[in-house]
Amino acid sequence: MASLSVFRPFTRRALVCGLAALGLAGAAFAQDTGPVRIGLIYSKQGPGAAIGEFLQKGSELAVEQAGGKVLGRAIELVWLDEPNPQVSQQNMQKLVNENKVVAVVGGNYSSSALAMMSVAAREKIPLILPGAAASEITGKNCSRYVFRTQATVPVQMRGLMPYVSQIGKKVYFLTPSYAFGQDILRSARSLLKQVGASEVGVDEVPLNTADYSSYILKIRQAKPDVVVGGLVGGDFSNFLKQWNEMGMREKIPYVAVAVTDTDFWDVGPQASTGIYIKPWYYNNPKNSAAEKKFTEDFMKKYNRPPSDKSWSGWIAMRSLLESITAAKSTEPKAIVTALEKWKNAEGATPFYFRDWDHQLVRPAVIVKVKANIKDKWDYMDVLKDTSANEAETARAFGGKEEVGCSMPAL
Amino acid sequence: MLDTLVSQTANGLVLGFIYVLIAVGLSITFGLLGVINFAHGAFFALGAYAAWQLYQLWGWWAVVLAPPLVGVAGMVVEVAIIRRLYGKEPLLSLIVTFALALLIEALIRLLWGADGKPFSPPPFLNGIVEYGPLLITKYRVAVLGTTVATLLALWAFLAWTPYGRILRAGSRDPEMVELLGIRLPRVLTAVFGLGCALAAIAGVLAAPLWTVSPSMAAGAIMPAFVIVAIGGLGSFPGAVVAGLAVGVVMSLTIQFKADAAAASMYALMFLVLLLRPRGLFGERWERFE
Repeated sequence: MASLSVFRPFTRRALVCGLAALGLAGAAFAQDTGPVRIGLIYSKQGPGAAIGEFLQKGSELAVEQAGGKVLGRAIELVWLDEPNPQVSQQNMQKLVNENKVVAVVGGNYSSSALAMMSVAAREKIPLILPGAAASEITGKNCSRYVFRTQATVPVQMRGLMPYVSQIGKKVYFLTPSYAFGQDILRSARSLLKQVGASEVGVDEVPLNTADYSSYILKIRQAKPDVVVGGLVGGDFSNFLKQWNEMGMREKIPYVAVAVTDTDFWDVGPQASTGIYIKPWYYNNPKNSAAEKKFTEDFMKKYNRPPSDKSWSGWIAMRSLLESITAAKSTEPKAIVTALEKWKNAEGATPFYFRDWDHQLVRPAVIVKVKANIKDKWDYMDVLKDTSANEAETARAFGGKEEVGCSMPAL
Repeated sequence: MLDTLVSQTANGLVLGFIYVLIAVGLSITFGLLGVINFAHGAFFALGAYAAWQLYQLWGWWAVVLAPPLVGVAGMVVEVAIIRRLYGKEPLLSLIVTFALALLIEALIRLLWGADGKPFSPPPFLNGIVEYGPLLITKYRVAVLGTTVATLLALWAFLAWTPYGRILRAGSRDPEMVELLGIRLPRVLTAVFGLGCALAAIAGVLAAPLWTVSPSMAAGAIMPAFVIVAIGGLGSFPGAVVAGLAVGVVMSLTIQFKADAAAASMYALMFLVLLLRPRGLFGERWERFE
């Protein structure tokens, strides 16, 4: 018996090693000839479910438009949930270990994205984030394997604040009381002087606030020219409804970042109002031919227009598929190198992932909710792009020193 | 300054009444059945969705059908699931009703989709009423009227009708009530249905104020639990007083120290429970000691 127990660890280890080797060989085999698996991490439940659905539809359509194939092999999408940072991170790990994905597209919330990024860096799997606006993602936490399509909060505020000062000089801030809202407040305050405006009040609102009537009464007393906000999702929809209910819609303009079309479709034409900065709008005459085709295909398939989130899911997936094609390989390092060289020149202003921080450099649009909404979906008029050409756009996204990313080696 | 105080207090009272309506259903279910219903918020959301659907089908008048419909759904749930929890330890009812809440939310998403449904106040209730420093929207005045009427009717029902007496007796001494020849299980089914219908009334009234989405109860259900704890578990007047107090405290905190808005109702709960551990109107109940 004694001798047996001596040999046991050895044999067991050998067995494990053998199995692992077999598994690796099997995985390598599957990766070369079987379908190309790509992971998606978007919300399936809770308040983010509607946004998750639009992101997923965009990504899915990009695959369909590519004929469902890349490098002549079928594409298989595996969609897991993004309920909170912990589970999103576990799901990212699961996609890598169990589903053997070659890359992941997903992460709408900065907190989840930061958790998923650590897995991407450790496992060396490319991750493209269609959302997640926190500066540090392409700043001090930047990673060689992570790319982001969404513009950061400071970049969005830089596009918006000059517009705010055209409306009026007295600004009231209504922002959510967590990292994202504080980011808005910080960036906006640093720009106030530059645009010649001043602050007459500020409220940082806790997440999941159902009733805004007390805040609205307060804003009414302060008599600002304009309210600059950053409420998101259900909180934002609740606010809009009550803003309209209390008769403020016609009185004080509301201006904000980080909204999506579904926020307005959820509250309906009666309560929708304001001026916003958005990555994209489906009914923008300046959209490229490919974007117009995307809108058309989306309408045909889902019977409603794509939201800006669908566009983000679509462009993130397209950049990945085009980079895999360019690299002629599903090997992670090759994909990353190709993504760093990827450029889209279909529209008036070309856009690309900046190689030193992996941020997509692209102008956003400033939109205004129509005074008289007639269409079931078309709520916005596009006022202008945040920047007119490639050089101006690059300037708006800030220099190396400001961004603070020291990109690790591959 | 005084104007501000008056206007925010009035606003807080109106908001408080909506919270009372949500909390009262929760309190009745607990007081009479001994079940802490975590799915109360889900029935609230179900009420809002039922109202939206009925409005789409037949217009404004049809929304009054939403609460009875949700009440019936609640009765079905009681017979199928909740009934098995009576007399068991409270933890079990917490877990089962929590699962039920998730299930109902998923069902709503399956039936109506994950995105919200546009729902605004009816056109005849658009606009605001201004009276000196007071500013209240017409819709909120209507909500206030409906809520007060509902609460009065409920109180009269429990205090004065024979049926109400059976309910109150059954909550204290179920055995004695059964010995008197009353079939208690049927009564309890109706009580659970009543609790759900009350949640649904709150849901219908909240639908034009808050976004109608599957997880719409998230922001409303916590105040309801806090109100029940402050007022005293199972106490009807307790829920009313606590609800109004929470509404006013929250409004005034937002006015003068907005950072503390989320914490204010918990601070109030902490203070009340420190002085009166059973809540403001909480009595000593043999069953729960």
